[in-house]
Amino acid sequence: MSLSTTIIWIALPFFAGFLIYLLPQLDRALALVGALASIAYAMLILTGYNTLGQLSTEPLTLRLLDHFGVTLVIDELSGYFILTNALVTLAVVVYCWNSGRTAFFYAQMLMMHGSVNAAFACADFISLYVALEVSGIAAFLLIAHPRTDRSIWVGLRYLFISNTAMLFYLIGAVLVYKATLSFSFAGLGAAPPEAFALIFMGLLVKGGVFVSGLWLPLTHSEAETPVSAMLSGVVVKAGVYPLLRCALMVESVDPVVRIFGVATTLLGVFYAVFEKDTKRTLALSTISQLGWVLAAPAVGGFYALAHGLGKAAMFLAAGTLPSRDFKELQQQPINSGLWIVFVMAGLSISGLPLLAGFGAKMSTLEHLLPFQTIAMNLAAVGTAIVYAKFIALPHEKQGNLNSGFLGAVAVLIAGLLIANLGYLQAYTLANIVKAVAIIGAGWLVYFLLARRTAFRLPRMLEQFEHLVGMMSVMAILLFWMVLA
Amino acid sequence: MFLEACVLATVLCGFFGIIFKKNLVMKIIAMDVMSTGVIAYYVLVAGRDGLFTPILSDRPLTYADPVPQAVILTAIVIGFSIQALMLVGVMKLSRDNPTLESSEIEQNNTP
Repeated sequence: MSLSTTIIWIALPFFAGFLIYLLPQLDRALALVGALASIAYAMLILTGYNTLGQLSTEPLTLRLLDHFGVTLVIDELSGYFILTNALVTLAVVVYCWNSGRTAFFYAQMLMMHGSVNAAFACADFISLYVALEVSGIAAFLLIAHPRTDRSIWVGLRYLFISNTAMLFYLIGAVLVYKATLSFSFAGLGAAPPEAFALIFMGLLVKGGVFVSGLWLPLTHSEAETPVSAMLSGVVVKAGVYPLLRCALMVESVDPVVRIFGVATTLLGVFYAVFEKDTKRTLALSTISQLGWVLAAPAVGGFYALAHGLGKAAMFLAAGTLPSRDFKELQQQPINSGLWIVFVMAGLSISGLPLLAGFGAKMSTLEHLLPFQTIAMNLAAVGTAIVYAKFIALPHEKQGNLNSGFLGAVAVLIAGLLIANLGYLQAYTLANIVKAVAIIGAGWLVYFLLARRTAFRLPRMLEQFEHLVGMMSVMAILLFWMVLA
Repeated sequence: MFLEACVLATVLCGFFGIIFKKNLVMKIIAMDVMSTGVIAYYVLVAGRDGLFTPILSDRPLTYADPVPQAVILTAIVIGFSIQALMLVGVMKLSRDNPTLESSEIEQNNTP
């Protein structure tokens, strides 16, 4: 992979996005080109070929200017994240193809795609800051696109929280520079503990991790269907990827990331089990799945791919349901086609063999440290309970589904089936038995207990002021974790 | 050290403003105060070895570090555009919520 290919690939979505303003007739085609180019680039990385056709497993490290300039690192980990971004964007473009959305929508979608791509490629704090802020602005414009009061408030809240978190992050970034004269991720090891605490607090908020991620359920559930699919599928991963990258580069960061992974997984799955609203359940499950990505940093990339594809399909299908309330959905049968999508995507996230989620879950479980094992297995059962809610919905044969929806889901499900071939080592008898046992246990708990609960968890922590206040608590917590 | 304390006080003033001010516009202004503090900190870090503009000259001078200044310029532009965007959102919201009390708006727009 050469320097020029990488630069062209990073610039292309922005170029295409701005071109849409000049040539609004070409909006959908340009969006498609942006997504397909990223797929091609990601495939080149994952198959290990550089542009000259030579096989190279060395990660590509680019340093523009000097030690204080832009640093890019591209390897297998970023390859998986880029592929997730590309496939989800492609699916969303296909989903919106016949919906008559304006050129502005596609332009913002490309900007978001481009900025998230940039976040997956960079390895220094300032490029990451710019990429995250641009993705935040594009996400705000997409969330507020319907221009109703509610959508504007939800978008404003998102932008406010992410911008405040990023201000703390900036202070952390300059502390790293002060200590090492470079903004590179590698400098985090030599930086003072307060730099680490501030940077990680910003990234935890942006990535929707643990209690600082509780802005996520409202934002992801109130956005329009294709926007929620993109937000949950890829945009939060722009905050999670740098955590993984730092954990892999700096040894002392690794345990902190793992602990947050476990805590997030349990918190998210606990909330999701008791939730009665479809889109909120999916958003809360996103929090828990982000924890899975963090729990084993070395193999987080593949998990992010499996989750991104599955969750985007779930969100697109949930947006087509006649109601968002599980109680109402249990009374009236849903379209069988939709139900099949729920079964495929839900089983993949639960980790059933033959779908990508199986390999991802098994490789994560194999790379856990001993202290994580029990909690993560428990969380796996919890995940099965959450998706049993969707799989248990009554269904019957009804009219045809929208062709855009079918195309989008075909892309995502095909992605899940093909990605499954990427990790065949997972197919041992013990793993298969384990996966089936986890899902069986989850379903058993669901049908015996969880189905009948009428328990509502308080949502106080999701209020705006509490979210902002929680940032200071998290900063202090991180500070003590790194001192300990 | 004194300057560092001042910068930190500015950042904290802004942060507490975001939490304790009720009006949405005041919250946004508080965020601006906070980002002013962050920008001042970058300038302070840039000036830790010297204050002169880094231009080549015959006399030996102690130069300010240009890198944090260049970086914070980007952050200023981004922060400014985000604030503009937020104020537009607030303008739209003010049509139905003339008091712009954030708790009120939150209550009306949370399912």
